[in-house]
Amino acid sequence: MNYAALCIGLVIGLPWLGALLVWWAGDGRPRLQHTLAVLFSVAAGVAAALLIPLGSHETAVKISVGGAFGDFTFVPDGLGVFLAAIATVVGSLAVIFSVDYMKGEAQLGRYYAMILFFIGAMAGLVLTNNLFLIFLFWEITALTSYALISFYNDDPKAVAGGMKALIITQLGGVGLLAGALISYAYLGSFEVSVLLEKAEVLPESVLGILAFGFLIAAAAKSSQFPFQTWLPDAMEAPTPVSALIHAATMVNAGVYLLARFYPAFEGVPGWREAVMLVGMLSAVLSAIMALTAYDLKRVLAYSTVSQLGYMVYAVGAGGVFASQFHLFSHSIFKALLFLSAGAVIHAAGTRDMRQMGGLGKQMPVVRAVFVIGALALAGLPVLNGFWSKELILEAGLTGGPAWMLGVMIFTAGVTALYTFRCVYMVFYGQPAQNRHAHDAGMFMKIALIPLALGTLVSWLVVGPFGRLLEETLPFHGIHAHSLGDIALEIVKAPVTWIALGVIALGLAAWVLRKQLRLVSEPLQGVAGVSRSSFGFEFINRKVVDFTQQLAEDLRAGQTGVLSWNLLAIVVTLFVVIAILSLGV
Amino acid sequence: MIFNLINVVVVVTVGLVGIAIYGMLVSRNLMKIVVGLQLAVKAAMLAFILSGRLNGKIDEAQSLALTVIVTDTVVAVVALALVVQVRRKFGTLDIKAISTLRR
Repeated sequence: MNYAALCIGLVIGLPWLGALLVWWAGDGRPRLQHTLAVLFSVAAGVAAALLIPLGSHETAVKISVGGAFGDFTFVPDGLGVFLAAIATVVGSLAVIFSVDYMKGEAQLGRYYAMILFFIGAMAGLVLTNNLFLIFLFWEITALTSYALISFYNDDPKAVAGGMKALIITQLGGVGLLAGALISYAYLGSFEVSVLLEKAEVLPESVLGILAFGFLIAAAAKSSQFPFQTWLPDAMEAPTPVSALIHAATMVNAGVYLLARFYPAFEGVPGWREAVMLVGMLSAVLSAIMALTAYDLKRVLAYSTVSQLGYMVYAVGAGGVFASQFHLFSHSIFKALLFLSAGAVIHAAGTRDMRQMGGLGKQMPVVRAVFVIGALALAGLPVLNGFWSKELILEAGLTGGPAWMLGVMIFTAGVTALYTFRCVYMVFYGQPAQNRHAHDAGMFMKIALIPLALGTLVSWLVVGPFGRLLEETLPFHGIHAHSLGDIALEIVKAPVTWIALGVIALGLAAWVLRKQLRLVSEPLQGVAGVSRSSFGFEFINRKVVDFTQQLAEDLRAGQTGVLSWNLLAIVVTLFVVIAILSLGV
Repeated sequence: MIFNLINVVVVVTVGLVGIAIYGMLVSRNLMKIVVGLQLAVKAAMLAFILSGRLNGKIDEAQSLALTVIVTDTVVAVVALALVVQVRRKFGTLDIKAISTLRR
């Protein structure tokens, strides 16, 4: 067993072992549970960091499990190791944050066990090279996400949000399973690399079904148009969970899937355009919804959908590197934003931004890190969000139609507008209440500071990051450039300056909001529509009603009498025999 | 020769399956349904042996038949235990009476 295999085993195994131990420790010993969870998640983070220099495109682990599922293989390639590092490092920071946030909660065992189980599954999902295993880990992340959204299971809103997330992401899971089975039927292998290598061998129609099936899977998982409604409702989860699962890791799985299979599907007619369209619609619609929401966590959730839209758009435009780099930046600054929002909510006791205001004086540290994250989200230089967003816009310039690029640049302006609105409503302005808000606890600060530093400097690794992807992804055709080249290219590109101008306009629109009343008042109608989520909640409601009505109608078919069930079995048997003997 | 061994086994197998399905479909007594199930399994076992004989792979067929005997015993034990429990709980073995899936 080589060194890379050991690391992969530790990255997946340590969190799962930790989950068992936290469970075993029992809710009577909360200190032990906190300690165990922090220890195991940090250890997994270290193992994932050690794995990064070992990145290669060769199979590190191969477990033969017989004919039906192929070999269970794990490959530590560039995409895999860096996403595993994000999952475990952000995961360990979220766990450290939880020590303060979840203090005094009953049922800590359930909470930590689910988080650790999730971290291991997420690392497995990105490191494996077997489509069947991808499906398996994909479902584990969906189930743990469901369990954690509904963590406060005496709150009906939390339970409903969890169910919604589970049902919608399951839809995507089915698409993924179908894709895996189709690929097995035609290629005789579940290996991802075999699918990438032999994509041209497949008949065009089959490849098309695969490509669009995976797009649906990715859109459902990443909460993209038209499935974007589950993520905001998932905000009933404890905030560290929102930061980890619904901002930094699980929702990225869809983008990861698209990026992973991009070389196989890029030739499918209409696929790239469809991907770009999905990304663009998600980005612009969610940005407008973020502008009109009052719930702090929902604003961040909408902005997550919007930023994921940018990544999906970038994959469609052929900028796999740009999309993965934005994924990297976004994971850091959005985890930072969510965790500091968690500190604010913990202190203020409400999620409604209208009841906050003026919290900055009472929580200076949280304000400082939140502003850093917000500037990165708005895409201002020189934070990491600026570089990656400009890379995406540049990919859009070369790989997509101009009108889509225009919409994306407009969205960048809206992003700046809602970001400053959010910062102002929470930390500045008149205090809406005289309640005393205490600053974040020690463990919260331990979790926030590294993320803030990461937001400031993580763009410096763009050179090595690109080289790692170039060397370990033989099918993607990524060309790495050094940090200097990329910086120079971005500074010289006109699209950068246009985007910065639009962002500045967004900022100015917030500063001059009183003078702009003439413009904004006619737009109140749009705001109303966006608060009802552009009618998507209505569609969801209709689908649910239809399903329930159908189930009610089909009850007549269920007599509950054994003889009828037996008759159905016998008739099916005869039908099968008839089909077999006719040789259809 | 119409009364050779193979023909007899085919007739017996089909007959057993027919009796079993008929019994399971028309009977409302849970006990009789279990008996019907047992008959169907015995027919399947005969069919295994017969196909082994026809293909010349009688050893494989015999090992399959042995497996069926073992699993069938387990099924019979569990089914009979359930029948006893149903009788104790509901006081009847009528499948219409014990069904709870009605409107």
